Amino acid sequence: MTEEERLARELADLHDRHAGLEASGTQHVIPTDPALGDVIEAAREIDDALAPAAAPPRDRLSGYRIIEEIGAGGMGRVFAAHDESLGRKVAIKTLHQRYTDHSTSRERFLKEARAMARINHPNIVRIYSLGPASEPPHFVMEYVEGVSLTTAAGPLALRQKVELFQKAVDAVGFLHRNGIVHRDLKPGNVLVGPDLEPKVLDFGLALELGGSEHRLTLGGELMGTPQYLSPEQAAGETEIDATSDVFALGVILYELLTGQLPFTGASLNLQLEQIRAADPALPRRIAPSVPVEIQNIAMKAIEKRREDRYADGGEMAADLARYLAGQPVVAAPPAYARLVGGKITQHLGEIETWRRDGILSPAEFDTLRRGYERLVERDDAWIMEARRLTLPQVSLYFGAWILAAAAALLFLFQYRWLAGWPAVLSAALATAPLMALGLRSWRAGELRIGVAYLLAFSMLLPATLLIAMSEFGLMMVRPGSDADLELLARPTNAQLWWAILLSMPAYYGLRRFTRSSVFSLSLAIMSALLSLVTLLRMGLLKWLEEDPGRAYFHLLPHAALFLAVALVMERRRLSNDSRYFYPVAFLFTLVSLSGVAAQHEPYRQWLAGALPWTRGQIEYLFIANAAMYAVLQRVCDAAGSPQMRAVARGFRFVIPGHVMTSLLLLGWSATGRGEASREARVFELVLPLTAAAFVYLSIPKQMKNFLAMGLLFFAVGVVRLGEHLLKDRAVWPIGLLALGLSLMLAAANYTSIWLALRRSKIFSRVW
Amino acid sequence: MEAATTSLGLLERARNGDRAAFDALLERYWRRLAVMIHYRMSEPLRRQVGPEDILQETMFRAARDIGGFAYRQPGSFLSWLASIADRVIADAARHGSRQKRDVHRNVAVWSDSHPGGIRPPADSRTPSRILAGKQRLDRLITRLDQLPPDYRDVIVLVRVQGLSTGEAANRMGRSREAVSLLLHRALKRFRELATK
Repeated sequence: MTEEERLARELADLHDRHAGLEASGTQHVIPTDPALGDVIEAAREIDDALAPAAAPPRDRLSGYRIIEEIGAGGMGRVFAAHDESLGRKVAIKTLHQRYTDHSTSRERFLKEARAMARINHPNIVRIYSLGPASEPPHFVMEYVEGVSLTTAAGPLALRQKVELFQKAVDAVGFLHRNGIVHRDLKPGNVLVGPDLEPKVLDFGLALELGGSEHRLTLGGELMGTPQYLSPEQAAGETEIDATSDVFALGVILYELLTGQLPFTGASLNLQLEQIRAADPALPRRIAPSVPVEIQNIAMKAIEKRREDRYADGGEMAADLARYLAGQPVVAAPPAYARLVGGKITQHLGEIETWRRDGILSPAEFDTLRRGYERLVERDDAWIMEARRLTLPQVSLYFGAWILAAAAALLFLFQYRWLAGWPAVLSAALATAPLMALGLRSWRAGELRIGVAYLLAFSMLLPATLLIAMSEFGLMMVRPGSDADLELLARPTNAQLWWAILLSMPAYYGLRRFTRSSVFSLSLAIMSALLSLVTLLRMGLLKWLEEDPGRAYFHLLPHAALFLAVALVMERRRLSNDSRYFYPVAFLFTLVSLSGVAAQHEPYRQWLAGALPWTRGQIEYLFIANAAMYAVLQRVCDAAGSPQMRAVARGFRFVIPGHVMTSLLLLGWSATGRGEASREARVFELVLPLTAAAFVYLSIPKQMKNFLAMGLLFFAVGVVRLGEHLLKDRAVWPIGLLALGLSLMLAAANYTSIWLALRRSKIFSRVW
Repeated sequence: MEAATTSLGLLERARNGDRAAFDALLERYWRRLAVMIHYRMSEPLRRQVGPEDILQETMFRAARDIGGFAYRQPGSFLSWLASIADRVIADAARHGSRQKRDVHRNVAVWSDSHPGGIRPPADSRTPSRILAGKQRLDRLITRLDQLPPDYRDVIVLVRVQGLSTGEAANRMGRSREAVSLLLHRALKRFRELATK
């Protein structure tokens, strides 16, 4: 064996003995042969080049005995140490060597540590002390015994998970309020002890020190865990603020809910691309038991645009607390609109084709389209459209209602101690703050509360105006000063009219401002009231007493006006507003036409004069009304707008009842006048024939009620026929049995009969 | 502090999902991994795809898959990282220039291979300071580059990856004696390069 071979074996043995140290190096290796010195030196050089940049820590820092390294980040290392004087464990965070020689970085590190030392929160790790200037920069903090948030939350029920998570979010919110951004939130930085209390740690350290450039290249911090990175961080932006923390919290919440990360990619680049651009799957698609509210919160927190997220941890914690308290949450993530928006346009296009292909009837098409349109409309904050009723929500509206009732008392009655100024003042004092509160809540994003306040305001506004007018005697005009025409003793009709008219702009303004449908409804109701008060001023009370028919007659132009206004609004794409005007128009038409037919004396006399055989019976007038409805429904259908078509359906709906009930009543009265009268016979025949006609009229417009009403009255007609005209004739029931059976058989073989008829010569000749 | 026990402890914690432990492991090993990656890539590929990108991607996949890593013997963590790096390099070679384009578009951050990336603000640390560890590495690689391929390979296997001479002999298809001799000569030559 040559000398070189001997040395080589010696070297190999030395190396192999220490290879077990996981490539730890030759620092402690003492060569047995001095001739190996050079070679060992070379190995040491290589090891030095490969050693971590931070100097190996001393045995003690700030007087605490270092036990072991428990972690490392891009900017420093963390050690567990023993505080011998107090007999407790502490954690010590050091700054990497590569920052320690740089005075700016060092200064920032110390500044940060001081800022953090001021933070005192049960769910945030405490800073005990800053290392002395004579030692490498470091600080001593609370040693937290615990597991990561995701590990701790694993076995918990959803509600407990949210409670635990909410505490952590609240703590982050506390940091934000103190001007500190965590920048590196991940489950491993939220440790949970056995008492289920989370502790947020490692906050603010990446600030200033960790520019993205070193994180991507060297730190290990980003390279290992880009999952909780915000889109702006993934895009390399250096401006990081509280909303970036909110994003990380959203990712953690998503992970807690579903057990999956929202953004995963097969490679780092794909992962970053996902974070920047991809919409994650909705948590409920992965875990259907996740409540919608919580899903909303998570999705809002991981919005791509910062301004779409919660502004800071505090806001997010408040929304989580709202969920835990059973209140509706604020979050309404724009992601949903993106998700459904495009799909709905696509679906509507398809539905439109289906309608053109004849797969859908126009009525079905309208229903489907209405459903879809409701989906893209902004979620309504009004209680009647709310997804579920909650105690605070119901209390809010109950309170508003009590307020309105109190205001009504004030203008309906005179109180001895509350006459004049005090009454007006108390009403105004209740009204004005409601407006301010409502606007403020609305601007703050508390839409549901805001709408409730604003609605209360809008109810109190006309009442307050009324109180003011009646107390100060404004707008008292009484046409002809006829006290009998007044509805109420105190506010005159004119005052009522002005109060309603003056508050209408407020409803319109609120509708434009909030875009909530509740104010369209209020506007429609108030317009209807205005119509009625106008009639009151014209003398409604007198008419009702002397000639009720005239009152109904005067309602007719109002009905037409509402219909026209609604149509104009719908045409101008204010379909949300017109939605509430159409029912008013429909109701006014129905009430006024029925009233006129039933009670308008001149109308009856005209009928009796023009067509003496009718004897002026009001049943004929109702049949005339049915004819008018038939015309109206044609007109409405021709207008072509979806809501107009719904009104047309409404008019059609009432036609069969009007016609056949009238026929039945006419038949009865004719029978009553004389058993054998020809008129009675005619009606007995007309009723079942009309009923049969309605049965078949159900087909063209798909009116199921035509079918049902037709069948019902046909049965009635058959019975009536059996009672009188065809009394004691056995051929009648037998004939009917045969007719029914043959109709059924014919219907079952409709196609073959049809084809046979077409082929036969008789048919073609007749045709 | 006994490095070996801590490494094992960190490994165990990292395997159970402790990110801080994993980061500490990376902090400890990324330099060795960087050298290994450097010499596993062909010269043209190195020019096409920055070794830093391979390093990043390797660490990303390591973080993702650490739960499935099983410690068998000394050096197996680095060997495991090396096997991931091999797959990343193979992917990069397959995708070639496309991968490079993606990298430039996505991770627009300053580094040696991305001179056009975002640079830190003027008042912040200079890149050279951030990359202080990197400069030491670059000097090491420059020196290793001057060695004959045989010498370099043995040093990377034994001194960087930390294999025993027996394992290195297996990898290189030589006897342990031959590898020992090679290592001895390689280290000697390495030392001479420094003193020259």
